[in-house]
Amino acid sequence: MNLPTTPLIETDALIKRYGEKPAVDNISFTVYGGEVFGFLGPNGAGKTTTIKMIVGLLKPTSGVVKVAGYDVQAQPLLAKAASGYVPDTPNLYPKLSGRELLSFVGDLYEMDRTQIEHRKEELLKLFDLAQAGDDLIDSYSHGMQQKTSLAAALMHDPKVLVLDEPTVGLDPKSARLIKDMLRQIANRGAAVFLSTHILEIAERMCDRIGIINKGQLVAVGTMEELRSSGKGETSLEDIFLSLTGGAEDAAITEVLR
Amino acid sequence: MSITAGAIMPEKGSTRRSLAHYVLKLLRLRWLIFFSAFRRSRPRRKFGIILVTLLVLGGSGLIFWVSWWLLGFLKSPLVRSVVPDPAPLLENVPVVVLAASFVGILLTSFGVLLQALYLAGDMDFLLASPVPIRAVFVAKLLQAILPNFTIIVLFGLPVLYGLGASGGYNFLYYPLVLVVMAMLALAASGLSGLLVMAVVRIFPARRVAEVLAFFGAIFSILCSQSGQLMNSFGPSDRFSPDQLNQGLNIVTRFNTPWSPLSWAGRGLVDIGEGRWLPGIGFLLLTLGVSAAVFAFSLATAERLYYNGWASIQVSIRKRRQPRTVPAGQVRGFPLKSLAERVLPPALRAVVVKDFLVIRRDLRNMSQVITPMIFGIIYAIMLMRSGGEPPPGRGEAPQFFLDSLRVVMSYGNVGIALFVGWTLLARLALMSFSQEGRHYWMIKASPVATWKLIVAKYLVAYLPAVILGWIFLLGISILQQASLSALVYGILVVTLCLAGVAGINLAFGIRDARMDWTDARVMTRGAFGCLSALGSMAYLPVCLGLFFGPMIIIGALSLPLVVGQLLGLGLGGIFSVICAVIPPWLVRGRVLTMGEQ
Repeated sequence: MNLPTTPLIETDALIKRYGEKPAVDNISFTVYGGEVFGFLGPNGAGKTTTIKMIVGLLKPTSGVVKVAGYDVQAQPLLAKAASGYVPDTPNLYPKLSGRELLSFVGDLYEMDRTQIEHRKEELLKLFDLAQAGDDLIDSYSHGMQQKTSLAAALMHDPKVLVLDEPTVGLDPKSARLIKDMLRQIANRGAAVFLSTHILEIAERMCDRIGIINKGQLVAVGTMEELRSSGKGETSLEDIFLSLTGGAEDAAITEVLR
Repeated sequence: MSITAGAIMPEKGSTRRSLAHYVLKLLRLRWLIFFSAFRRSRPRRKFGIILVTLLVLGGSGLIFWVSWWLLGFLKSPLVRSVVPDPAPLLENVPVVVLAASFVGILLTSFGVLLQALYLAGDMDFLLASPVPIRAVFVAKLLQAILPNFTIIVLFGLPVLYGLGASGGYNFLYYPLVLVVMAMLALAASGLSGLLVMAVVRIFPARRVAEVLAFFGAIFSILCSQSGQLMNSFGPSDRFSPDQLNQGLNIVTRFNTPWSPLSWAGRGLVDIGEGRWLPGIGFLLLTLGVSAAVFAFSLATAERLYYNGWASIQVSIRKRRQPRTVPAGQVRGFPLKSLAERVLPPALRAVVVKDFLVIRRDLRNMSQVITPMIFGIIYAIMLMRSGGEPPPGRGEAPQFFLDSLRVVMSYGNVGIALFVGWTLLARLALMSFSQEGRHYWMIKASPVATWKLIVAKYLVAYLPAVILGWIFLLGISILQQASLSALVYGILVVTLCLAGVAGINLAFGIRDARMDWTDARVMTRGAFGCLSALGSMAYLPVCLGLFFGPMIIIGALSLPLVVGQLLGLGLGGIFSVICAVIPPWLVRGRVLTMGEQ
């Protein structure tokens, strides 16, 4: 088991530019084993771009990302083998069944055949998908697809779990299940990195929170640290709005009043 | 500034606007969407749309002229010797054209309505807006029939106007033709709408769209190739006047007294020829029935949609029981079990996944079946030729004819290669692109680039080479080819297709795009052309290396096996080089795929 001080995600001066426009601008942070790290930011702030660079889907313009100690650019296969990823939209192969998808993922991660069979049945049961396991994914609801996506990310029991808006489209029961599960995964020593717009989830679940705005990391720390560094705000919502700009929102409410 | 609640509510009087007002508003919205898409499209696409429009207009003008001439020609003394009384035939032309238009609209609007009502995703938005439900449905029906109706009018109207011009019909005939066609089109679209709802109640809309696309593609290929096949059975000038007469008489069978389509045709001809009473009677009957069918369909469709009948799918499948597989036991088809023993897990995973997806996606299946249809047609044509060189005028030297006979005896290899190549080209070009938005699953996993390329290579190569072998074996058995020729043919097909796979896969990697939403445009036409050109340059060289030594050895009267061995050596080396080098050259592209 990893101690909470083991760095499992490290980014150093990470930059991603699309042409001249910086999507992620010189971000550095560390996520340790055993913690749930919440990554917050307004729409278009650079959350998904950062996540895609962490899981090796996007090449950084400059900077370094390390996952489980492996440089994602220099040792991509080792870094990817250590991580699991749940995207914001569960784009899964619609013409595979849930079971086939999990077998496919198990094979991609070079898992033992017996282990694959055992693990996929376990996960299907856990996510209440056993009954629909042989149906094609294109017949699944959004919530079922989201749960299948999470099951796929957990197939190889990753050291690092990266989730982009994992609770979107889930019913309260499934959302609760996922929240509990993420905590258990972190308790077993893995690092959980999740982006969310639901500040309540971040406040209640995350050990530490990072806030990104216009591509720059404007705050990182525990809730206590964020509160103490602010201007007296107590809730995460107030801290978030203060750091990312809430004046525009006030103008909107004025129009609607 | 503040906006108070209700400030943007419509005025009371405006809620009493007519249905036509809302229908026009919705159609204007549709037109704006089309125009905006046209304005923002690339110049090449704009040029294409304008060119197609001009071609269709030109084509309809040509049809008008040809119809006029042909229908006038039917009355000439020359034709009277074959068709003694052309009058009934001419009077049946409107019936045939109107029946074809009706059936055409009924069938084509099914797909468009399926898209408009279930797949476009705008129904909820439109029904939630302050627009009458009826207006939404009328707009959807009009939207469904307008493009097809325009095409059918462009091709059907000239025939009917040509008939009127050649027969000197009354001037009222011309506007009434248009009115009748429009009313029949409305009735057809109404029925089509009901049919869509009934079908979607049983099958998922997306699946129905896939099945439609599959059968549409197969039907169009069969239609396009049927002429080739007919030609191989003999030239069309063998039809006797009796057969021609029988064929023309089929047209008269459309004219049945109980069909509203025949009432429409009869009414138009009667009015054209000045028989007012029966003409008006038939037309009123047609228009009345059409209007009733349209009104009934519209009201029923509206009700079925609004009360949820058309939205709730009835499950006709038995729910499967959860599987209970003992630990260690793997379920799967034989290919999967074989793959599990031979290939590394990640490579195998991609191969098995691709085969499953290709097999289950009917859009891909139509691509797989196409080469089989081509192959069967060309195999029949080859066998009917007897595999012998054309006799000519007897001026060619004997050694040349002998060499040609050797090459002709491997005509089956040519067909097997053609069939394999047709399939392979498609599979290789779409190999990476077919991943689309799902590519993140592979990219985020620890799969080495070379494994991914090999997996995609196998997915393209294996079905093509197996199909090639099947054709080669089948034709060889039917032609009673020698065993040595069969074995050599199998080796040539295997190696030749390996090279084609390498070339086409390289273009597939270079052209890979993951951002498509419509599977039909997952690969770009330009890269398809380039890969076809690459294959066309490769195949003659490769076949020359395989068969050239045999021809030379044959001319020198040496044993054929020496030529075969030399051919295998030269062609084999060239094929393996082409199988490996092109994908290796573009391997770097795999690392950046999906980052656009």
